[in-house]
Amino acid sequence: MRLKLFIWRQKNATDKGHMEKYQVDDVLEDMSFLEMLDVLNEKLILEGKEPVAFDHDCREGICGACSLTINGIPHGHEKATTTCQLHMRKFKDGDSIYIEPFRAKAFPVIKDLVVDRSAFERIMQAGGFISINTGNAIEANALPISKKNADLAMDAAQCIGCGACVAACPNGAAMLFVSAKVSQFALLPQGQPERKRRVLSMVGQMEKEGFGACTNFYECEAACPKQIPVRFIAMMNRDYLCSRVTEPVEA
Amino acid sequence: MILINYLKSTILSKFVMAVTGVILVLFVIGHCVGNLQVFLGKDAFNSYAYFLQERLGELLLIIRLGLIVAVVFHIITSVRLKFLNLGAKPTKYQVKNYVKARLTSRTMIWTGIMIFAFLTYHILHFTMGVVHPEDYNKTDYYVTNAVSVEKVDNSTLKDTEGSDECCAKGTATTAKESLIKYKGSMYKVEGDEPILSERHDAYAMVISGFQKPLVSILYIIGVIILGFHLNHAIQSAFQTLGYNNPKYFPKIIVGSTIISILLVICYISIPISILLGLVGGRL
Amino acid sequence: MILDSKIPSGPLKDKWDKHKFEMKLINAANKRKYKAIVVGTGLAGASAAASLAELGYVVEAFTYNDSPRRAHSIAAQGGINAAKNYPNDGDSIWRLFYDTVKGGDFRAREGNVYRLAQVSNNIIDQCVAQGVPFAREYGGLLDNRSFGGAQVSRTFYARGQTGQQLLLGAYSALSRAIGKKQVTMYNRKEMLDIVIIDSKARGIVTRDLINGKIESFWADAVILATGGYGNVFFLSTNAQACNVTASYRAYKKGALFANPCYTQIHPTCIPLSGEHQSKLTLMSESLRNDGRIWVPKNKGDKRKPNEIPEEERDYYLERKYPSFGNLAPRDISSRSAKEVCDEGRGVSATGFGVYLDFADSINRLGKKVIEERYGNLFEMYERIVGEDPYKTPMMIYPASHYTMGGLWVDYNLMSTIPGLHILGEANFSDHGANRLGASALMQGLADGYFVIPYTIGDYFARNKFDKVNIDHPEFKKTESEVIEKTNKLLSIKGKKTPTMFHRELGEVMWEFCGMGRNEAGLKKALELVPKIREEFWQNLTITGEGNDLNISLEKAGRVADFLEFAEVLLWDALERDESCGAHFREEHQYPDGEAKRDDEHFAHVAAWEYRGVGNKPVRHIEPLEFENVQLAVRSYK
Repeated sequence: MRLKLFIWRQKNATDKGHMEKYQVDDVLEDMSFLEMLDVLNEKLILEGKEPVAFDHDCREGICGACSLTINGIPHGHEKATTTCQLHMRKFKDGDSIYIEPFRAKAFPVIKDLVVDRSAFERIMQAGGFISINTGNAIEANALPISKKNADLAMDAAQCIGCGACVAACPNGAAMLFVSAKVSQFALLPQGQPERKRRVLSMVGQMEKEGFGACTNFYECEAACPKQIPVRFIAMMNRDYLCSRVTEPVEA
Repeated sequence: MILINYLKSTILSKFVMAVTGVILVLFVIGHCVGNLQVFLGKDAFNSYAYFLQERLGELLLIIRLGLIVAVVFHIITSVRLKFLNLGAKPTKYQVKNYVKARLTSRTMIWTGIMIFAFLTYHILHFTMGVVHPEDYNKTDYYVTNAVSVEKVDNSTLKDTEGSDECCAKGTATTAKESLIKYKGSMYKVEGDEPILSERHDAYAMVISGFQKPLVSILYIIGVIILGFHLNHAIQSAFQTLGYNNPKYFPKIIVGSTIISILLVICYISIPISILLGLVGGRL
Repeated sequence: MILDSKIPSGPLKDKWDKHKFEMKLINAANKRKYKAIVVGTGLAGASAAASLAELGYVVEAFTYNDSPRRAHSIAAQGGINAAKNYPNDGDSIWRLFYDTVKGGDFRAREGNVYRLAQVSNNIIDQCVAQGVPFAREYGGLLDNRSFGGAQVSRTFYARGQTGQQLLLGAYSALSRAIGKKQVTMYNRKEMLDIVIIDSKARGIVTRDLINGKIESFWADAVILATGGYGNVFFLSTNAQACNVTASYRAYKKGALFANPCYTQIHPTCIPLSGEHQSKLTLMSESLRNDGRIWVPKNKGDKRKPNEIPEEERDYYLERKYPSFGNLAPRDISSRSAKEVCDEGRGVSATGFGVYLDFADSINRLGKKVIEERYGNLFEMYERIVGEDPYKTPMMIYPASHYTMGGLWVDYNLMSTIPGLHILGEANFSDHGANRLGASALMQGLADGYFVIPYTIGDYFARNKFDKVNIDHPEFKKTESEVIEKTNKLLSIKGKKTPTMFHRELGEVMWEFCGMGRNEAGLKKALELVPKIREEFWQNLTITGEGNDLNISLEKAGRVADFLEFAEVLLWDALERDESCGAHFREEHQYPDGEAKRDDEHFAHVAAWEYRGVGNKPVRHIEPLEFENVQLAVRSYK
């Protein structure tokens, strides 16, 4: 397979950045997208050029590190697939592929295709947990949880924190990510004591980080490699409004 | 300032968008039902208009104020959110493909602005009579003590229309009622004297307004844009207000489309019928 | 050197309780005077950092990823074991202990393993309390399944993503501590060396992966939870960045490396398709419950699998192990696959693959049942390979998966360097020569939540700590060594990329020290590896600069350490002249292919001491005493 790649190159956070064109000729259809970039990088290093920097780690679709916008869609056009699990057989010989970083104000570019997603960390630190010290737990089966809720919480908990939702959202909103986190705990009895405080502080932090507002485009749901549904956003909206009204002190 | 404090929170802002949106959608539906009465004829339409304008009294003021507040907040919030959203995505993709976002959802702010422009014109035209005052300044005289009315096929009675005398007296069928003919209709009135009143001739205003093709086309375009806006807006309000149930939400999305299409059809049926001469042709 | 495991005396059941009582405590108000550095934020690291912070210690945590949540613990699929005995099927702490010791082929310490089994129940409680959405029954209580050939159902799971959910639980606890400023979190900082002052571990030197800055951090104790070294094989199921650097640096500074030859191979991975391949993907072993494994009888049979008639297929596991058949243990089924491929009967483009055929099961049970059981795995397979496993047999091949060996630690999880504690896969302590399925998660969390919070306090309480800071000459010296090494890597300007060297190393290691090992092969590898290393330092090329995000420099540093570490692994494999668990020396096997242990000479831990690059390290021995279990031979006939 021969491909024309247009890749965003940016020296560092302050550089303006530009698209650069590369020709790769020996692409096999069994390669994953990142392996195709590996091939390009090996070639670049041997030519004495700097390889394209991109985030990746587990390469089995679970760590959430990989983060490319491929032809205008985060993680590429294949449904429910991370970039590392996207294979070149989904492309055709002679294709032009545009590879850009995840874009959002809250995800500044560090270099080339690597972006800074630490905003997600701060949102989690603001309330993405159940306050329980080690050793403090009650017997696991002392608290029955309906299978339905446990399954739904699991649906939400599948989020890999890759940020594709933000990258896909024309508004750069992080609602899907935050709502998945908020809903996971809101659905479980363990999460109830801090439920209101949690949603208020996580949403508060989300807004401080400069993410946009939800306009119900549902692009996030379409881009999510774990297919987390937007109903969690609705759930969080409800939780947030109730908490705003009933919680006297803003966390 | 307390009033716009909510703008600090995107979710509260969206809540305001949804609630004001719901108010406006309800108005649009009500307005539509009201307007459709144009098909019932002049008297029905004008008495509906009379009911709105005169009978509601202070309530009308409250409704209008409410709608104005809703519109104002809807606009302020949307503009603020738009700027926030533009700021949250400072660099655009060189190539962008959408998967789920539809044209309707992506163009809300633009359809919104167009609707606002259209609305302004529409109010100036039909509510305030500032543009095309000739449409607006029409008076309808009508019989207030009519018991029943029927079309007159041929009558020996002299039509009083246009004469100072106002009405021709007919023969009373009973002691308490009498027949009179007025503007081509036969009225059965209480007593032997018809009582005549004046009211705004909204019917004539609509007919003469829409008989101008340009006005009609503008209106049709405006309504279609409104339909675009509502198509996304209605289901979006459910989502924002926290109702998204996997069983019913797909139906809400379909319902949202159906309602917006129905509204468009109903609204544009009026100017189309008028242009085709199906309504008000006799005027 | 005498390796004192510090296992408490007394009956097995009371050892941990007794030890907890004998440990010195630190007054709550004084805890904030002690600082611990945690390197690595997987299950072990994140749980340790959070737990220590909750106790009141000052904690600094480091990861080379952009978030603690990306550590490779996240990829564990199957589940986590605990001796809860909820299914009422006869499980107990003792049984979990026994199964683990036996599964490890009697090469683990009884005391450590028993403690692991004891705290396994607390782990489940803790994780549920954190909101980990484990699978549940309709009655609302936790569901269990049997896993990895265990006779009892003791595995708790969260769909196929148990590792992810447990890591997210530990990560949420860590996030809470970071938010409360009890933990200072350093993302994208890679530990490149450890600093020893007055023979105690007192800090680390890191490289900031964004701006290349070399920085020092001091502490009173250093905890390494940096995972395993499976990537020494180049292709493994590990994440791309997994490396041995932190462990190896500690080893170079005096920590002993124990049992490096115990590397586990997982039988059901997707085979490699070509040279470009960067990793191997694991598929759940449960596939073997319904799939039949076969290869063509004839060498070089290039026909499509469906065109090969039944009589020309060799269902070699069913043939060789009639009673266990396709469910033969991991190591046996892995080795058999290698055997048939070495005979030239392997399938897939590279000849390294065997068929895992579901046709019979689909005929017997219907497609729907198979879809229910394995739908997501089939989907994953189709995505990667591009073939529909409902129609064409799957291809599988074994791959390096987990490393039981690691830095030597005592019962307190402290290495031979005082103050240097090793947790999780990075230590060697609990799995012996082979790890049971669903036990890795258990061990990582046990170390982090329930062991280190106690034992580190004892270490702090029993030792005096001179004030140090990063201006100490030892820090400056280590920093300049790190800078020097980085500059050296950048200055070679040769003709081969770091990945090319890594691949070369991996090929040698896999060939001679993979599933089956023998003396001649290991000696050959001991000749080859130094040659690759020599060439590496003469012919490496890296582009870009040191003070920038530089992916090839990062990679080169890791490969450099693998190239040295590989030799330790080879020496260990060579000197352990027996077969046990995952370490299979072809010279030592029963006629049926089962590993033949030599308990008389090798019932011990081998811990290696560094003696300079290229020199043979010194082998130290910690004898293993079995007071509670009878050493038996595994049999799967």
